[in-house]
Amino acid sequence: MARSLSRRAFLSGLVAWAGTAALLSSCSSGKSEIPRNQGPASGTRSSPTLPATTGTPAVVSSTGSRVRVVYWGSFSGDLGKAEQAVVQRFNESQDDVELVYQYQGSYEETAQKLAQAVAARQTPDVVLLSDVWWFKFYLNGVIAPLDDFFQARQIDLADYVDPLINEGIRKGSVYWVPFARSTPLFYYNKEAWSEAGLPDRGPRTWDEFRQWVPELVRSDGGTTSRYAFAHPNAASYVAWLFQGVIWQFGGRYSDPDFTIRLAEPAGVQAGQFYRSTVADGWAVASQDLNADFVNGLTAAMMASTASLGGLSRSAPFEVGTAFLPEGPAGFGCCTGGSGLAILADKPREIQEAAFDYLAFATSTETTIFWSQSTGYMPVRKSAVESEEMKRFYEKNPNFRTAVEQLPKTRPQDAARVFIPNGDQIIGKGLERVTINQEEPQVVFAEVAQTLEDEAQPVLTQLAQRER
Amino acid sequence: MVQSQRETASGWALATSTGRWRALRWPVLGDWGLFLLLAGPNLILFAAFTYWPLIYNVYLSLTSWDMIAPVKAFVGLANYRYLASDPEFRRVALNTVVFTLGTVGGTTILGLLLALLLNWPLRGRTWARGVIFAPVLLSGAAISVFWINMLNSRFGLLAELLGWFSLSSPNWLNHPIWAMVAVIMVYIWKNVGFSMVIYLAGLQAIPAELYEAARVDGAGHLETFRWVTLPQLGPVTLFLLVVSMISSFQAFDIIKVMTDGGPVNATTTLLFYIYEQGFVAFNAGRAAAASVVLFLAMLVVTVIQLRLGERRVHYG
Repeated sequence: MARSLSRRAFLSGLVAWAGTAALLSSCSSGKSEIPRNQGPASGTRSSPTLPATTGTPAVVSSTGSRVRVVYWGSFSGDLGKAEQAVVQRFNESQDDVELVYQYQGSYEETAQKLAQAVAARQTPDVVLLSDVWWFKFYLNGVIAPLDDFFQARQIDLADYVDPLINEGIRKGSVYWVPFARSTPLFYYNKEAWSEAGLPDRGPRTWDEFRQWVPELVRSDGGTTSRYAFAHPNAASYVAWLFQGVIWQFGGRYSDPDFTIRLAEPAGVQAGQFYRSTVADGWAVASQDLNADFVNGLTAAMMASTASLGGLSRSAPFEVGTAFLPEGPAGFGCCTGGSGLAILADKPREIQEAAFDYLAFATSTETTIFWSQSTGYMPVRKSAVESEEMKRFYEKNPNFRTAVEQLPKTRPQDAARVFIPNGDQIIGKGLERVTINQEEPQVVFAEVAQTLEDEAQPVLTQLAQRER
Repeated sequence: MVQSQRETASGWALATSTGRWRALRWPVLGDWGLFLLLAGPNLILFAAFTYWPLIYNVYLSLTSWDMIAPVKAFVGLANYRYLASDPEFRRVALNTVVFTLGTVGGTTILGLLLALLLNWPLRGRTWARGVIFAPVLLSGAAISVFWINMLNSRFGLLAELLGWFSLSSPNWLNHPIWAMVAVIMVYIWKNVGFSMVIYLAGLQAIPAELYEAARVDGAGHLETFRWVTLPQLGPVTLFLLVVSMISSFQAFDIIKVMTDGGPVNATTTLLFYIYEQGFVAFNAGRAAAASVVLFLAMLVVTVIQLRLGERRVHYG
């Protein structure tokens, strides 16, 4: 009897211990999040609520003290360093505004945190939002129209590259200002190209590439050790890269009025092409596209211009860039990336201070610096035409490819960028086609149905917002 | 005895021990007041961080809300109907069953085998126990990154090992079936040390007389294991099944970092689906409805386990 009691005590002790362990482990995982959120800005951290709650005009305009503005950004690695350099330059360039930079994780994580911040009323003042996220915050009235600010500072909107600035304009007002804008590029491994005896350029068409493919694929004892091409997964924006491809085949995700066109014959044909790249053994699904390219697992890829800076530094071979190959219906390439927005519910003084940063970050001078360090597009015409950029392009022909391709690009279809989660819905459909080798006709029909369902709330909201 | 204390102290056993405490007795607080004083802080925390979110979650599951809009539209059971008819959700439910069976079965059986092995007076067993338990203490995100590299089909350690046997490595994390195998494998690797330690403690609590009696009765190794060790470990096994089932339902970090639920939802478990619906797609209503489903599933499974336990497990 005594023994059985002690065992019971032992077991209940175990339960208690396990409970504590669970508690501790959840604490520790909570802890590991914190430094990540603060990111590189931990040195100058301040509460994100500070300007919102204490930033009454009286306080702000008093005695020439610096206005603190909180900025949420999304870049890490090489891009993060460049972004911090922009922030640092801004803070050193003037004495009125102190910009506090807070790294938030990926574009998706930044948007998720902003949504939670809105609910908790703890928002930043200026935020970086990607192509697929800014619209949601526009619809809900979270971000402010900026025309007044542009007028007050006498900044000419016409100097912004047209296709880029136009995407952020709704009902004649600009809400989303291009900052880190990119397009897909065709990257190739020049070493692999010359080994295969191919001309030093990208393929003009997918058909031409298909003829080159046998020379590029390497096999090693039954397994493929090098593929000719690779597809990223949904989380790494395969739906963004496929946007250009579906245009090249004469299809589109949707019309601007949200009529879904994905499952129409041209779209299905583009899907069949993607499926065949894997079925025919020359393309592979990749979890980390840039790493696989640098490590030689794939000889070519489509990827963002923003990878240019990093790839040029890290690849052990010479990297070539080219326009995207053409499909049966010709050329197709979209824009992408992210832009800056200012929160709507902030005091005017804070918004003006936030706009100071926005204007600085997208100024001719900064955009030249930013573009050269990263590979993102210069967002100002005056920057593209500047002597400095011209000299840079002469020395770095890969960067020139991106800028020359830019006038041929167009904004993405509404289904990917305006339907909530549209990017991931299409991306997962593409995973089914490439990885699962499912029939595109069936998959795209299902995806189109989902997109139509998910578009309904947007249409309702849009009707209210832009009535 | 407790009863008599209660009587003399007018309802408060603790108070009888010292006179100082007696001053605080019920004339000041009353029995209920004292109860609230002692249990209140705990209850308030539970109410604020467990019960209220639970109730609010049920309410959210009846709405359509994108987490930003000021109004939450009431939609009745539409979210539940959506889940019932969504093929993706069926896939997710299946994944959850596979993942749970794989991880709970794996950690329990492997944990038992390791405990039996390391219960023998082998040389270096303390060291081995430490090594096996170590991953339990490591951060899930960190070991996931580490395993992503191990599993790389081109330069990963596992590809190298398979190469020795002239086997080609699967494209682990991008394959609809191998991805789930990989995630389960890493989860077991991380958590088996916990089961092992609990089993070791359980093994050492089995009285030696039972083994002596079995030996006297002429039982062999296997029979001793079947009729002495295993039944004696019953309560420990029940405890492990309940605890590891619950933590398996809650697995997130490994899946998030290693596969992000992919490819094509192949490793999306119920909890990950909730995260995706709630914080990626901003469907708070659907996420809340899926949470209710998860809550009920866990409740049912736990009740079944405890019922089975009552019948099958003998405490000493």
